[in-house]
Amino acid sequence: MLEVTDLNIEIEDSLIPETVVYDFDITISPGEIVGIVGESGSGKSMSALAIAGLLSRKDMKKKGSIMFEDVELLSVERSHLRKIQGNDISVVFQEPMTSLNPVKKIGWQVEEALRIHSSLSDEELRNAAISMLRDVEISEPEAAYDKYPHELSGGMRQRVMIAAALICDPKLLIADEPTTALDVTIQAQIIELLKKINREKGTAILFISHDLSLVRTLCSRVIVMNKGRVVESGPVDEIFDSPKEEYTKHLIEAIPRFTKIAGRFDTKDAKPILKVENVSARYKKITGYFVPGSRGRQVVKDVSFDMYEGEILGLVGESGCGKTTLGKTILGMLDDTEGSVVHYSKMPQMIFQDPYGSLNPTKTIGRILEEPLRIKGGYSKEARYEKAKDMLSRVGLDESYLSRRPSALSGGQRQRVCIALALIMDPKLIVADEPVSALDVTVQDQVIKLLIKLNKELGIAILFISHDLKVVYELCSRIIVMKDGKIVEQGTDEEVFSNPKDPYTKQLLSSAGYGI
Amino acid sequence: MKTILKKAASFIMTVLLVTLFVFIAFDLIPGDAATNRLGINATPEALERLREEMGLTKPFFVRYFSWLASFFFGDMGISYSYGVSVRSMLASKLPITVTLTVMSFIMIVILSIPIGLYTSKYEDRAASKAVDILGQITMSIPPFFLGILITYVFGMIFKVFTPGGFVSYDINFGKFLGYLVFPSIAIALPKAAMSTKLLKSSILSERKLDYVRTAYSRGNSTMDVLYKHVLKNAIIPVITFLGMTLADIVAGSLVIEQVFSIPGYGRLLISSIANRDYPVVQAIIAIIAMIVIIINTLVDTTYKVLDPRLRGS
Repeated sequence: MLEVTDLNIEIEDSLIPETVVYDFDITISPGEIVGIVGESGSGKSMSALAIAGLLSRKDMKKKGSIMFEDVELLSVERSHLRKIQGNDISVVFQEPMTSLNPVKKIGWQVEEALRIHSSLSDEELRNAAISMLRDVEISEPEAAYDKYPHELSGGMRQRVMIAAALICDPKLLIADEPTTALDVTIQAQIIELLKKINREKGTAILFISHDLSLVRTLCSRVIVMNKGRVVESGPVDEIFDSPKEEYTKHLIEAIPRFTKIAGRFDTKDAKPILKVENVSARYKKITGYFVPGSRGRQVVKDVSFDMYEGEILGLVGESGCGKTTLGKTILGMLDDTEGSVVHYSKMPQMIFQDPYGSLNPTKTIGRILEEPLRIKGGYSKEARYEKAKDMLSRVGLDESYLSRRPSALSGGQRQRVCIALALIMDPKLIVADEPVSALDVTVQDQVIKLLIKLNKELGIAILFISHDLKVVYELCSRIIVMKDGKIVEQGTDEEVFSNPKDPYTKQLLSSAGYGI
Repeated sequence: MKTILKKAASFIMTVLLVTLFVFIAFDLIPGDAATNRLGINATPEALERLREEMGLTKPFFVRYFSWLASFFFGDMGISYSYGVSVRSMLASKLPITVTLTVMSFIMIVILSIPIGLYTSKYEDRAASKAVDILGQITMSIPPFFLGILITYVFGMIFKVFTPGGFVSYDINFGKFLGYLVFPSIAIALPKAAMSTKLLKSSILSERKLDYVRTAYSRGNSTMDVLYKHVLKNAIIPVITFLGMTLADIVAGSLVIEQVFSIPGYGRLLISSIANRDYPVVQAIIAIIAMIVIIINTLVDTTYKVLDPRLRGS
């Protein structure tokens, strides 16, 4: 059905043309599920977008052949290509919030492809959309039809995206990281949905992901890509069980998988570093300037726990559970809070999730690192420089990075800078809010090892906030599980993982594949 | 209901503060209405008597609140300079300023939206580049200078209209509109250029967003992507700008009214400030403040119509 041979994609950006995909080959038969796996920059999304006919920018040169049922997609007229897009080949994108038009109703967007490719009446379109919404298991499809994207949860939005992609009953569905932006319990549901669609409608699926374990559960064949080239391809089990190439081995090794990396921590005789008692927090809501604003929604509800010197404490929960808000409350970054937070150490610091957004792009790394020292005062220029240099070497970067700007650094390097920035005030406690979620799996592995090293060498306690149970298992001896602003369970890793009491913890564990 | 009450409360508070500030300002600046009326050679006794008569000797807050109370019931007082009721003075001038504002606003909208769409759609064409340059030049000309230029070119050389001439709306409405065309152009052109540029950059940045890629993946043509998907999103910042512009025209038309000798609010305001004619100044400023707040409320409502994310809580 689809046969891609020797696809090369070149970007003629600026002066030097850059090839982002080399000699890419893929064949997909009707009803098959094929996966493309790779890290960011591997060219996996580029290849998929080229197949979907969505790389039409003038500065992108494509060579080779993309044959879809006797049509050469690379040379076909645009008007003919449009007849295939949305009709025979459909795409589900990564971020369901930004990939749906925020100002159009769900129903309108689900119907769209059918409206373009058929001449059905409004009534027929509506019926088709509602039955499609029902097929993707949206409860109350009639109500959802008249809603806007922001009124639905992330998982629901992704179901809507899938419904919109399937409305014309396409032969090929391209799913570009469809579960990456979703919570783990939702992720499992979406994978099940894709399987069901493939089984019932016979839709072939091209599944693009950085998550190898997902690819393994879903696909029959897989293509591993790195730096624009196909490294290895073949049946899923073969690739996973006996990878031939070094890169594939490396990639498979880096997958977090419920194994301990950090040493055990014993709370006996440990001195406390943080005491959180009955803490609640709200976001401030501001309305009007002459009339009093109403109070914001309560996001953290009556939370209590202790933390000890040198401990790595895991704080787990899905998006919106209040874990980030709790982290901010502990560091005194919110105004409307109740309860008590007692610190037994000075200058606790925070590391944020997104290393791309949390460094000021106009400042050099040196300037960024020295800033806290400048604010505190009492350091000479040389002392500040030395200190910044020291911290960089602690996180594995050399002096030359001091004069660079964030844009010249990779995601992993940026997160290292963020960690160095947190270290510069010699804290004994760091709140790390999803510090590895935005990073590729191999980079993730390196950053986790760095955090463990810092914990061991400097005795820094880390409150490790994450949605990823596997990573938390690797690091933490004690774990707190949060849901809807409350702590539903807390205890040692054995208690929480091997013997969970709360049904929500059980659900999280089974979605993450614990014990499988 | 609650939001309407809140809006009304902040509306009243804003008008109160604005008028209070004007009262304070006139209290602080030197010179008074009595001296102005009787001239500098008047005897102190005569001045004192007139001040008494005009109520200027009463304490500040008494004067303010008595003004406020009568304003609330539609009585804006008597003009010091003309001796007629401020209300009747303003009533005859209101249609002029409103017409001028509306005409220039319509010109801004009908110029900037199609041109903005064209230049963003055909970014690389020579015509788009020419429009960009032209816009840049127009933007940098202050409206009063544009007014002088227009008066010279169309009034003196081509004799399309008589500079300094004016026909009132109750005499000949058609001619009245004709006289307002060129002043409106002078107000509209720089703003239209800004609005065009804003729409263009807004469309160009919207086009990079994920949902546009989704729209293409459904089989939409470039035109459909632009009109059915991008435009409604891209227009939102332009609405903000148009709202501010409208308020700016209302408050700022005095310069253009002066240049084209149009007897609207603006000119009256200037002469009343010079004559220390407090009742007139007070009334005009209060009315302008109210119009500006009403416009802001309308813009907020438009937002909610365009962007469902802003509706409800």
